[in-house]
Amino acid sequence: MKAIIGVGMVLALLVIVPSVELVMAAGDTPGEYLNRTEVIWSLFYRLMIIAFTVGIVVSGMIVWLVMRFRESNPKAKPTPYEKEGVW
Amino acid sequence: MGHHSTWPEWVYVGVVVALMCYVGAEAWNIERIIEHVPEDAELIKVTGQQWLWTFEHEDGTKEIGELHLEKGKAYHFEIYSKDVIHSFNIHDYVVLMDAVPGRVNTVWFSPDKAGEFDIQCREYCGLIHYNMRGTLIVEDKGA
Repeated sequence: MKAIIGVGMVLALLVIVPSVELVMAAGDTPGEYLNRTEVIWSLFYRLMIIAFTVGIVVSGMIVWLVMRFRESNPKAKPTPYEKEGVW
Repeated sequence: MGHHSTWPEWVYVGVVVALMCYVGAEAWNIERIIEHVPEDAELIKVTGQQWLWTFEHEDGTKEIGELHLEKGKAYHFEIYSKDVIHSFNIHDYVVLMDAVPGRVNTVWFSPDKAGEFDIQCREYCGLIHYNMRGTLIVEDKGA
C-alpha cells in the first residue's frame, strides 16, 4: 500500500503537476494566444484516427473470429462439448 | 476449458482500453486549455433574442448585428439570452456557445485574420432562426 502511495506521489510530481501548470498558464502572455481553430481541429483529427483504429481493430477481430471458427473452416475442430454431444 | 492461453485477449482489451483512456485524457486537456481565458481579454456581452444579436463592448458601445474587433487581441464573451435558447456561433473561428435564458455562458477567442466573417445562431430558435445572422468585422490594429 505504501509503495502504491509512493509511486502515486512520484507520478504526481513528475507528470500531473507540470501538466496542470502548463494548462493553467496557457495563453497568459499578451499577444500570444492559442489558435482555437488549429487546436480544436487537430484534436478532432487525432481522435478520429484513434476512433477509426479502434473500429478497424474491433471489426477486424470480429471478421477473423467469424471466418476462423465457422463450421465449414477446414481447420475447425469440434469442441470437447460437441465431440461428446453433451452440453 | 481453461487449457488455452488468454494473453491475446488481455492484450486486445488493454490496447482498446488504453486508446480510450488517451481519448478521454487528450479531450479533457484540450478543453482545459481552451477554457483558460487570458487575463488581458476584453469583455464583450453578447445577447441573443428572436432573431438578432446585440453586442456590448467594455466601454459601453453597443452594436446590433455587427461586431467590430481588432486583429490579434483576445476577446472574452459573456453570452445571454432574452427569450429562448440560441447558440452563438462564429464558424470560421470555431466559436460555439449556447445562449440560455437566466444563465451566463462564456467563451473566448482571438481573431488572427482580418476580414468579414459570419455570425449565426446554431440552435433552432423559432420561425426566423435561419436568418438570425450577424457579421464579425476584424480590423487590423489602428485601422
